[in-house]
Amino acid sequence: MALPLPSGLVPNEVGFLCEMESVTVVPRQRLDTIDLLSGQTPTLRPPYRANLPLWLALLLKKQRRANIVPPPWLHPDSLRGVIHHEVKVDPLAFSPPPPPPARADARGNAHHPTRPSAYDDVALSPPFLSSCTSDAPAGALPYHWFEVAEILLAHAADDIPSASEVRSLLRDLHEIRAAKMRKSTADLEQGVGGVLHLRGVGAMELAESRAFILGVVEGVRRLGASAEATRREEEEEGRARDEDEDDEDDDMFG
Amino acid sequence: MDIDDILREVDPVSYSIPSETRDLQALTRAWVAERSAPELLEWPADGIFERVNERIKKQIEKIEDMTGDMDPKTNFALIVIQTELERFKFLVRSYLRARIAKIDKHTLHYLSNPTLRARLSPTELAYATRHQALLHNHYLSSFLSSFPPQLQNLNDTAGNISMIDSPDLDTAVFIRLLRDALVEGRGTDSDGAIDGKAGDILILRWSSAKSLVESGGAELA
Repeated sequence: MALPLPSGLVPNEVGFLCEMESVTVVPRQRLDTIDLLSGQTPTLRPPYRANLPLWLALLLKKQRRANIVPPPWLHPDSLRGVIHHEVKVDPLAFSPPPPPPARADARGNAHHPTRPSAYDDVALSPPFLSSCTSDAPAGALPYHWFEVAEILLAHAADDIPSASEVRSLLRDLHEIRAAKMRKSTADLEQGVGGVLHLRGVGAMELAESRAFILGVVEGVRRLGASAEATRREEEEEGRARDEDEDDEDDDMFG
Repeated sequence: MDIDDILREVDPVSYSIPSETRDLQALTRAWVAERSAPELLEWPADGIFERVNERIKKQIEKIEDMTGDMDPKTNFALIVIQTELERFKFLVRSYLRARIAKIDKHTLHYLSNPTLRARLSPTELAYATRHQALLHNHYLSSFLSSFPPQLQNLNDTAGNISMIDSPDLDTAVFIRLLRDALVEGRGTDSDGAIDGKAGDILILRWSSAKSLVESGGAELA
């Protein structure tokens, strides 16, 4: 009954999550709208494009009912740009994530669905950000980039222009970023601050190295537990002493 | 339907997120959070699971109605509906199982005081109490009864050591910021703070991240 998996998402679960990403399809057959638990699907009429969740797009693709439009960031030029950024521009950090999506309303305001607004207390986050549709920006990797790219290459390679080139570029990118991921724990040598920053990292990269990174952080914490306790006590004492001195000052002036 | 619902339908800004997507987002977020957090989280108060379960039940009834109809067109729609249903059932089931795993591990801890008990749903509370009673009775009948009476409890706190095991709240977690925020974390050598932007992924202790996650400023990743 109880779930035997370790804490934190495992790669299979990340794969399940990424199948909720929206992708753009070009239908080859008519398909009426279907009432799903996650809302109605758009009516598919060739040759009009529509956005569907990845799992449904794959189902349609396998039955030859639709073709998938690869997201702009999966284009070889975009991937080469990202690799250039990772290697030359900023060899220490990951390349920046795509800018938060914005949508216009009727009153001339730009609206950001990632931020909670007055009516929506729910802020959207991946995989619900439409960062893999044909409107997504090129030149930046979304959170589920690796999984989506792998799935599209495996099941819809004929829809991706120059698929073999994309495949080899992805492999390069994955290796460059995996090296950075391992290096990020080297920061731990110069003492552990409270927060570690991993801007632009992908979901699968996190899942792959979650056990390693958390293991390192945990190990360092256990080793330093007594030192930390001493430090906190000293800080407490210092603070108490400061307050005493303040009180004395007050007495003097009071 | 109150005035907020009407506004929501008229206003293009808030209408951009339909209620089904909001529910799925909330469900997914709850699942990821429960899978990643070292301790049991609050049972969602807004009734999302009751709502989703109700809709799953309705969808199953609809499938039963549709299976009689063997028209090839509805047939494909049926496959799609069933696939999606399985995905929803997986989410709900995995969420509940992750919670049961945590309850099983630290049963007495979660039953020990009213604040912790309030995190459990009524069904989970019934499960935890009965399971704990059964287990203790089994221990009593198999070996505990031959011990002296003062050693037969499972919740001794004598000698400043509590028998009740509790989850380690200082375990490190990954979070994603949902809005720009100054994130403070306790560390071994020094306490740090980072000026985070929305969408950033951070690693810090759950004890430091908890308030930010509960206020909706971040989610577990």
